[in-house]
Amino acid sequence: MRIIVAEDNDILRKSLSFFLESKGFSIDQFSDGKEALEAIEKENYDLILTDINMPGVSGMEITQHVRENLKSDIPVIILTSSGVEQTELDSFDIGANEFIAKPVSPAVLLVRINKLLKTRI
Amino acid sequence: MNKNYPIPENELQRLAALKRYNILDTLPDDAFDDATRLVSYICGVPIAHISFIDEDRQWFKSEIGVGVSEVPREISFCNYTILDTEIVEINDTHVNERFKDDPNVTGGFNVRFYAGVPLTTPDGYNIGTLCAVDHVVKELNDNQRNALSIIAKHVIAQLELGTKNNQLYTQRKIAERAVLARDSFLANMSHEIRTPLNAIIGFTDLLAQTELDDTQRDYIGSVQIAGENLLLIVNDILDLSKIESGNLTIETESFNLKKTLKHVYSLLKVKVQKEVEFNLFLDAELPDMVIGDQGRLNQILVNLIGNALKFTNEGEVTVSVKKIEETEDSYSFKFSIKDTGIGIPKDKLETIFERFTQGEESTTRTFGGTGLGLNIVKQLVELQKGEVHVKSTLNRGSEFFFTLSYKKSDTEETEVKTVSKNDLGHLKILLCEDNVLNQKLAKSVINNFGFDLDIAQNGEEGIELLSQKKYDLVLMDLQMPVKDGYQTTEYIRNEMNSNIPIIAMTAHSLVGEQERCYKVGMNAYVPKPFKQAILLKAIKTVMSLDNDTHHKRIIDMSFLDEMSGGDPQFKKEMIGLFIDKIPNQVTQLEEAFKKTDYDNVKKLAHNMKSSMDIFMLQDLSNCLSIIEEEASSGEFTAETLDKVNIFSCGIEEVVKILKEL
Repeated sequence: MRIIVAEDNDILRKSLSFFLESKGFSIDQFSDGKEALEAIEKENYDLILTDINMPGVSGMEITQHVRENLKSDIPVIILTSSGVEQTELDSFDIGANEFIAKPVSPAVLLVRINKLLKTRI
Repeated sequence: MNKNYPIPENELQRLAALKRYNILDTLPDDAFDDATRLVSYICGVPIAHISFIDEDRQWFKSEIGVGVSEVPREISFCNYTILDTEIVEINDTHVNERFKDDPNVTGGFNVRFYAGVPLTTPDGYNIGTLCAVDHVVKELNDNQRNALSIIAKHVIAQLELGTKNNQLYTQRKIAERAVLARDSFLANMSHEIRTPLNAIIGFTDLLAQTELDDTQRDYIGSVQIAGENLLLIVNDILDLSKIESGNLTIETESFNLKKTLKHVYSLLKVKVQKEVEFNLFLDAELPDMVIGDQGRLNQILVNLIGNALKFTNEGEVTVSVKKIEETEDSYSFKFSIKDTGIGIPKDKLETIFERFTQGEESTTRTFGGTGLGLNIVKQLVELQKGEVHVKSTLNRGSEFFFTLSYKKSDTEETEVKTVSKNDLGHLKILLCEDNVLNQKLAKSVINNFGFDLDIAQNGEEGIELLSQKKYDLVLMDLQMPVKDGYQTTEYIRNEMNSNIPIIAMTAHSLVGEQERCYKVGMNAYVPKPFKQAILLKAIKTVMSLDNDTHHKRIIDMSFLDEMSGGDPQFKKEMIGLFIDKIPNQVTQLEEAFKKTDYDNVKKLAHNMKSSMDIFMLQDLSNCLSIIEEEASSGEFTAETLDKVNIFSCGIEEVVKILKEL
């Protein structure tokens, strides 16, 4: 299973990637939204894990692009860092499958990813 | 005014006598009203009064049936009564030549019968009258006349009593003021004595550290002992004045009882003569922590043990402490100090705790001392609701024992980290002090410690220096011109938002002073004259407090462990990343904050938050949340600055800890 991780905080991104790799996923990681988007267009990922707030292109924009332009139903998990962002997203259907508030619990993340990937299969 | 009434010969003195009682225009008084009622009952009259006559009126202190508080003097019957020494009785005014045409007889009060007794002061002045008046013709019998005279005497007695009470009250006030004046005199004197003493003891200490030959060393040693003794005496006197004025408060704080006892023991052990065995026996059941006043226990023990050692040339001095009672929330202990010294004569045993009393008249000369020590001990023990007793046999020895109760404590003792001198590195210290001698002394002492010292003449200057240069520590005199130590500390804490350690240095030793120091935000307190060791200890304490907060931060790696699955290599990599990246980002954040670049502050704060979360630095993450929010709202406040500073300091700590891993 291939997962793309888009997160601008190096430590968090590397940790998430390391963690997911240790669970058997294949990970491509990006710190820039625009580069992530280009990779999504080119590669064939099974799941997108993206921070909401990134330089260049935001997680919301990535999701919108994937749903509207690429017409893809690839599972998208958005990482949010505050309650405010969470509520904004809840009331604004942009087509993401999950929102996970930071700090991200690895265990929770793993459960959600597995759930989304199973549903899809 | 046409004065058609007689004026007494001694009118001026009479008026002066009246004025002395301060009775005119005072409020009604039960004692006088009772007397008036008595007159009315006894004489069976509808009108009775007690009145005083001044220059131009008759003023009624108490009246029945008169209905006014005063009348003009010219219409008063009593003008005649105050000329007399005996009762004046007019049975029928209508047949009295003097009064038959008086307006108060023909009309007004319709006075038909009048009986008046002059109110005569002990020095013979008629200042007023006691009267019985009726609208009908009347004649008093002897008993009634006697009763009137007796009541008149009582009225005067009542007046005298009031005056005496006033005098007593005034005297009490004067006495109270005198006590107050004495206390502040003592406090001021002790300040005045301590300041030069500070210099004497301090410079002697410094001198002792220089190269000296044996004779010089001997002289210096004597000066040191004399200086310390003088200080003890000053302290004793000050303590007594505090106890006497009720200004000595007993602390209730957790302390380690066993440690305190061992500390006192090791402190005094150095004074023990070769032929004397000095023992400390502690009950096995002695608890570690109790709640009470450690300083006062110290003082009592040092005093009693010091005495025992002083008066014992051979044999032993044994200090033993036993738990004698334990309740649900408290312990009682018996402290005993037993020696094989010179003992106290039987006839002196009872007065040994009195002030300026010693075992022998000659002891003062042989052994020195102020004769205040035991009195202070007794008062200190009693202030803590304990008792102190003594048993002694002349030439055999003495035993002083006292009981004290302490509340149980459930707090664990916080270990004070000891830092050796070198650990402190090269401290930059700022001294705020106006006294040149003290400046000089502090400078040599501080330089001796290997630290740098800058001096400010007053608080104002100190603040200026603080804002210009970076210091590690402030030594603060309390009494300074322009801005005193309290004001300066308040300014540093509240206006400059600085948490630089501040040590109060003071010769005041006034009650509540120490509390006040801590209240305004100082971190430690060193009484003057300061001893080098005590100052260094205070510096170490405040600096290690500072270090403690550094070391208090334990970085929780459990999140990173979970992420990394315990992979040490990866953990190391992440820690390295943190150390590499975050300090740079902090610098950027601070710069953006200075430029009020809301956008960048927001981005940086947001970005760093995830890093804080990974290392579970909740407090720093919260700081960033607040900074981010303020940046979003487009307005920075004093709180933002605070948070940026706290965050920056926090990162500094964390990086330091991470680097050490």
